[in-house]
Formats: sequence, structure tokens, C-alpha cells
Amino acid sequence: MASSSPWKRLTGLGASATPSVLAVGASLLICFLAIALTKNDFTVAVEAYAKMFWGGIGDWPGWAEGAPFTALSRPWGEAATKGGILLLTGLSVSVAFAVGLFNIGAQGQMLVGALSAAVVGAAFQLPALLHLPLCLLAAGVAGGLYAWLPAYLKLGRGVHEVISTIMLNWVAVSLVENWLVVGPLRAEAEGSHSRSGTEEILATAQLPRLLGEASRLHLGLVIALLAALGVWLWLTRTRFGFETRAVGLGPEAARASGIPVQRRTYQAMVLAGSLAGLAGALLVLGTEYKFPATLGAPYGFDGIAISLIGLNHPLGVTLSALLFGVLRAGGTHMQLLGVHKSFPELIQGLALLFIAGRVAWEAYRVRRRKITPLPPPGEAASDAPAVGV
Amino acid sequence: MNLLEALIFSTIEFAPALVLGTLGAVISERTGVVNIAVEGMMRAGAFAAAAAALVMPTPLGLLFGMAAGGTIGAIHALLCVRLRADQVVSGMALNLVALAGGTFLLESLFSPSGTPPIEQLGRWQIPLLSSVPILRALSGHSWLTYVALLAPLGLHTLLFRTALGLRLRAIGEKPAAAATMGISVSWLRVGAVVAGGVLSGLGGASLSTSTLDRFEHHMPSGLGFMAVAAMVFGRWTPLGAFGAALFFAFGNALRIGLASSIPQISEVIPQGFLLALPYVLTLVVLSVQRRQSDAPAALGTPYQPELR
Repeated sequence: MASSSPWKRLTGLGASATPSVLAVGASLLICFLAIALTKNDFTVAVEAYAKMFWGGIGDWPGWAEGAPFTALSRPWGEAATKGGILLLTGLSVSVAFAVGLFNIGAQGQMLVGALSAAVVGAAFQLPALLHLPLCLLAAGVAGGLYAWLPAYLKLGRGVHEVISTIMLNWVAVSLVENWLVVGPLRAEAEGSHSRSGTEEILATAQLPRLLGEASRLHLGLVIALLAALGVWLWLTRTRFGFETRAVGLGPEAARASGIPVQRRTYQAMVLAGSLAGLAGALLVLGTEYKFPATLGAPYGFDGIAISLIGLNHPLGVTLSALLFGVLRAGGTHMQLLGVHKSFPELIQGLALLFIAGRVAWEAYRVRRRKITPLPPPGEAASDAPAVGV
Repeated sequence: MNLLEALIFSTIEFAPALVLGTLGAVISERTGVVNIAVEGMMRAGAFAAAAAALVMPTPLGLLFGMAAGGTIGAIHALLCVRLRADQVVSGMALNLVALAGGTFLLESLFSPSGTPPIEQLGRWQIPLLSSVPILRALSGHSWLTYVALLAPLGLHTLLFRTALGLRLRAIGEKPAAAATMGISVSWLRVGAVVAGGVLSGLGGASLSTSTLDRFEHHMPSGLGFMAVAAMVFGRWTPLGAFGAALFFAFGNALRIGLASSIPQISEVIPQGFLLALPYVLTLVVLSVQRRQSDAPAALGTPYQPELR
């Protein structure tokens, strides 16, 4: 790092970010055309996009014309809420990538994390200074334990993590939403009218709002950003992080140089799970204030897109999470024009599709230029783990 | 006896989507291409078939469902075979696109909750069976259901009794060896992935044209992932996957049947347990089996002819 000049590092960053920027740009364009074509009206598409952007970054034109500060702070709050959750699930996926595992299970880990936060948040009477950290801890531990399972199945029993995490997602959904939340953990009926979801968490467990009543902006974004910083420091500035990346790049070479491959794999996967669990905690402690009847939004699956669009780098993941947080916050405003609020998810999915093709295309061109043979297909070292089951 | 008949009836009613989806996954993965995009392919098929059936006879609509699934398959093939993208990433991306894209199109063209009702596929009464107790549960399903019940045998014959099947399996195990025999690994893989998309698309279409009479916004609500589980459970063979799909379908019928006929049962066995069962069973089977996996040897590895 020290040998290259700051300018070179900056242009290097720019070059590696180009595919992501192009992918997001292309999918924004395609989705724009999709609205224009289905509505048969160009101006509706323009209006919808304007609503999406201003709805995410704040209504600056309105504010300039004298609208109150809340025209800015409300959208910020929504964008930050969604961005924080996306950032944590994105980090979860990218931490697993670092050690060479594909964590499709962030959704399930997030679910058990959310439930633990909701239970601890409702069950204990503690001062806020203890209660909130305890809820976050519970969510992290639950998510981590739930991610330990696929790591064990992989290392101990030879079950590929892609299959096991897909299964564990559905196990979590079934057990949490169709048993615990409607059964043992369901909130007791208040008089005659029954309530859905778990008991509401106490005020001491809620994530404090940063701008008071002006916005839903809460401490969650700060937690997520700190997590991103922590993951970056861990991966690039500590021995453990270095060893983890070494395992991800080549387990055999790592083993040969004395790195405890199994232990690093377990640690990374548990960390990935606790990050996803924290995302669940943000959802419960920041906006829902209980585990609702269904958690709905598949933020765990979105994490895969966020991580890969951010090139699995903590900084890139942060940027892509914030971008899609903004788009999603604005997406709810498009509903007025008959565009479903899940529209930004379409942009995100298409961007991931382009990334998948783009990254592969570049690797292909590099391969063509080099004549030297690469390792045989069975052990081919690619940037993502090989996916045999 | 009535309960048993009802159980068999609803198992078969529920089966086609799962069976066709799992066959779509099998044919793709047997040639070495990971297919977790079944969910997205089924969603595309279900939507396209229902939307097309609004303006044309429903059987013709099925063709659109198959084409939609095949299109997703073609994109998956382009990314995984031609561009050698990561196959899991491509599959998840396609799932995300199909999920959000389906919602977007549904809201833009119809209403957020679903399409208007269409004419359901005709139901067949099998003349002799329909008077035999128990066995009459096999009668009275749409013709697509019977197609789905025979399809596994067809795919089994194709894979294990024909030269083409031998080639398909060869490129999933040892693509380099197959290539030396003059087999085009890339084109066969593309064909298999597209065919898998067509099958999964038809499976999705069965949801909106045969099981129900319209496309609902949540379709196929995880059935595609259950189809992948059935494929793994059935050890990547058409008949094994078929058996697993039927078993999962039976589990589902049992759950719904029990919940409606004996509501008290949910006090003893919560719904969630029964819902989680297929996935838990698949995990258990996977983790107790011998270390040697039944998965095709080249699964997930792009074929790189320049490395030979």
C-alpha cells in the first residue's frame, strides 16, 4: 500500500469500481424504459424517477422553495434505515466470501437475530444503557449460531453451504413465523382484540433517534457503519483477517503455511451470521419495535446483491448499501404513480445480473490474453468459491 | 377412507409444479450447471401463462409460460456457459429479477394482488378409475397433472437409455473427456439449461392455470427452492427427485388437510414443524450420507476448453 501513490490508488479504485457503476447505470436505464413502455408514457417514467431520487436523498427543490426541514430529514431517515440493514446483510455475505463461502443464508440468520432482539427487548427490564446492547448482543449471537450450523455441515459432514443455507433459510422462516411468532411467543391479546407478532419491546431497547421527531433516522446506521469499519480493519489490518483471506483464496496453500483453515472458516462464518443477525436487530429495534407476523422484506437475499455490486469490499458494500437504501426509500413514493414499491429491487437484481456477466467477461478476456495454462478445472481458483455440492 | 382419498387427491393436485420444477433442476445440474434459479423460472412461467391465457385459450398460454421459463434459462446459460459467471450468483440474480420484475409487471398491467381469473385447464375423469374407492383420487385432475406425473419417466429414459442422455451425463462428470469424443460441451449445456427453464416454467404455469385459476402475487412462494431440495434429496436422478417431490407434496397435503379437518392437531404439532420438515429431512439425509456425494463431478465448474 505504502509503495503506491495516493493518485494511483485512487485511479485503481476507480478502475475496479467501473463494472459496478456501469451495471447500476445500465439497470437504472433499463428499468426507466420498463416504466416508459408499460405506462406508454415517457413523462410518467421521468416523474417516477424524480420521485424515487428526491424521495431518497430528500426533497431539495421543495426545501429550496420553503418546505420545512422534514422534507429533507424524513427521506434521510427512511434511506438510512433501509441502507443500514442492507449494509449489514451485505457485509455478512462479503465476510463469508472472504473465507471462500457463499452465504445464501443471511435471510435465515437475520430472522433468528430479529426474533432474539424482539424477545430480549420485551422480556427484560433494564436501563437503556444495558438493555440496548444486550438486545444487539442477543441478535448477533443468535445469527452467529445459526451460521455456525452450515459451517459445521460443510467442514464436518461435507454438505455444500449453498444447499444447506438455502434449506436453513426455510427452516428459519417455518419455525419462526409459523410456530414461535404465532404460538409460544405471540403477544397476548389485549382485552378482546388479538395482536399479531410478538410483544412490543420496551422503550429502553429501542434504537434512539438522532434527529428527534423530525426523522426516523436512528442509531442503526451508525452501528452498521461501525461494523463496516470493523470488518475492513479486521480483513486488512489484522493477522486473523489476513489468514481468513488466505483461506478464501486458496485453502490448500493456507493449510500448508500453517493457517488453521477450519478455525478461520468457522470464525468467518459465525461473524457473517452475527452481522446478518444484527441486521435483524436493526429492523426490530429501529422500526418495527416487535417481531411482526411476517418479516416481509428479503433483506438477507438483497445482501448477496449488495455485496457483489460492492465487489465484496467493505467500502464498496457501504456505498452500494447506501445507494440502494436511497433508491428503496424513494421507491415507496413511486406507488402514487402505479409503480410497485419493490421497483428498486428490480434495479438491484438487474445490476447483479450485469455484475455477474461483467466480472466473468473481464476474467475471460484476461484468460485469453494470457497463454499460460491455469490450474485444472477441478481446482480452478476463481474469485468466488467453486460450487460443486 | 374419505380422508385418505382427499389426501391423495390434494397430493396429486399439488405435485405438478414441484415435479416439473425439480426435473428442470435435475436436467440442468446433470450437465454440470448449478440451477438455483428454479424459483425465478417458475415465477416467470406462472405469470406469463396466466397473462397469455387472458387473451387466448389456456393451453396456448402454457406455451408462453414455457417460453418465459426458457428465456430465464437462456440468460442463465449465457452467463454460466458462455461468460463462465459464477453459477450461484447468476441463479440468485435471476431469482431477484423474476421476483421484483413479476411484481412490477403485475402492478403495471393488472392489479397488485393478481391477474383476473382465467379459464382453468380442463380436468380429466378417467372412466374406470373414477368408480373405484381410493383409486378415484387419481382421477379428476387437469391433463397437465398427468403430463407431470409421466414426465419423470420420460426424463429418466432420456438420461439413462439414449445416446443423448449419455452425452448429457458425460459433460456433467468429465467434460474434457466428453469433448475429446467430439461432443460440444457448451451447446449441450446451453440446451440442457434452457430445457430446464422450459420445464420449470411449465411447472410454474401449472400453478396459475391448473392448481389455481390466476397468477397470485406471491407465486410460487418458495416452491422453486423446495424443488431444488427435492433434487438433492433424490440424489440428482429424475425418479429419485420425483419420489422426493411427491413426498414433499404429500407432506404439504397432510399439513393443510390436518389443519382444516382436525384443527386441534396444530396444538400438538405446530404448522411450522411440518413446514420445516422437507428442508430438515434434506439436511439430515445430506449430512448422514457417505462422504462421496452423488452430485455430478463437474457441477459448478465452467468448462474451459483452452485448459486442455
